[in-house]
Amino acid sequence: MMRNIKINSNQFLVLVIFFTIGTSILEVPSALADKTNQDAWITAIIGTGIGLLVIWFFTWIALWFPTLTYIQITEKIFGKWIGRVASLIFISLPLLYTSSLLFQSGNFLNTHMMPYTPMVALNILMVGILVMGVYLGLETIARSAEILFAFFFLAFFVFVLLIAPEIRIENVQPVFEVNLKNMLQSSLFLVITSSVNAIVILMIFPAFLNKVKQARRSFLIGNLIGGIVIIIITFLSVSVLGADKTANEIFPSFELAKRISTGDFIERIEVLMASLWIISLYFKMILYFYATVFGIAQVLNLKDYRPLTMPLGLIVMVLSLVIYPNVVYKQDMNITTEYSFSLIVGIFIPLLLALIYGIRKKSLKKELNSSK
Amino acid sequence: MLKVIGILLVAAVIWRVEVPSLLQKNYKKELVVFLLFLSIGVGLGIVQALGKPIPNPMDFLTFIFNPLNDTFFR
Repeated sequence: MMRNIKINSNQFLVLVIFFTIGTSILEVPSALADKTNQDAWITAIIGTGIGLLVIWFFTWIALWFPTLTYIQITEKIFGKWIGRVASLIFISLPLLYTSSLLFQSGNFLNTHMMPYTPMVALNILMVGILVMGVYLGLETIARSAEILFAFFFLAFFVFVLLIAPEIRIENVQPVFEVNLKNMLQSSLFLVITSSVNAIVILMIFPAFLNKVKQARRSFLIGNLIGGIVIIIITFLSVSVLGADKTANEIFPSFELAKRISTGDFIERIEVLMASLWIISLYFKMILYFYATVFGIAQVLNLKDYRPLTMPLGLIVMVLSLVIYPNVVYKQDMNITTEYSFSLIVGIFIPLLLALIYGIRKKSLKKELNSSK
Repeated sequence: MLKVIGILLVAAVIWRVEVPSLLQKNYKKELVVFLLFLSIGVGLGIVQALGKPIPNPMDFLTFIFNPLNDTFFR
């Protein structure tokens, strides 16, 4: 249907890492420190562990049909019409979250860097490169991710090195004060933003990968590396800023970067560090947007997804201005409606899929063999 | 008014880029879907530019998921 696109498993690894880090690097420390105080970093470890299980489940589903995307799998297993309904529900998730992330990037730049520029202008710039990326195709996205990855990890390393002297170990004591139930509850935020939403990656995995077995490992390792970055950031936030301050900040890791001050020489480098967040945000956004555009094209059986990119960019742009009237509303939605929505699309529907696949396995196999 | 003209200009550019190649390749279905999404986008854009409220999809989702939210996440 589409022209043959293939990316290799290293490029895929980088994309998964960026997806996992994505918005989590900005928001997770405060969300975790809110309920679990100084034990937020332990919660992050638990969240990463659960997240890996979720990713394993996704790869298990994806490998039933190694040449199909998630939408085609849904249609194959649920049948044509129910499959289409399920696919439409699935597509509405990346569509909504693209605009959500667009709001987030605009909001972040607006509050911290360019307070006199209207958010619309910042969002238009972001949509510009978003549409450009999707228009140029998955290979271009993957290659640019590879290039920026080097910069990302260099900057992250410098960041950790420079902030390390500020760590006050008293801030993380006493360890294990919070009970396990609370930890599991608040780790849900990390699990959902980093792993459950990764269901959209099933639009490129495994259909667009040249070596599926290796790619599966990349998926898991990428999620793990992203999780480790989140754990480090959470630990640093709590140990440098203290649990209360971390919980009260909207962007604690940005506050963290402001604290960097080495030898009266390296000061105020937070804007440099902000490029880290913009890069990871951009790649998370583009994976969502790609899944949206490509998903719509596949549900409607179009020959090319590209014509839809720009009109959808327009729609996403407008939605990003409408979706959250203010930050308080956003914070509330993040932990209620978006939880439910992500869990329905990312856990409930795949489980249903697995159930029906188990029942229909024999007839599906027969169908597949006869069509060959 | 200026904003509306701006949006229409953007739409015109998108039209100019996409439509000729679609017509050339004779992709009828793609053209229809493209026009549908373009008109949705332009419509939403103009309504937003004129300052009229657009129904928030998040409110709709909250309405659907409220029972779930109340049971688990509040």
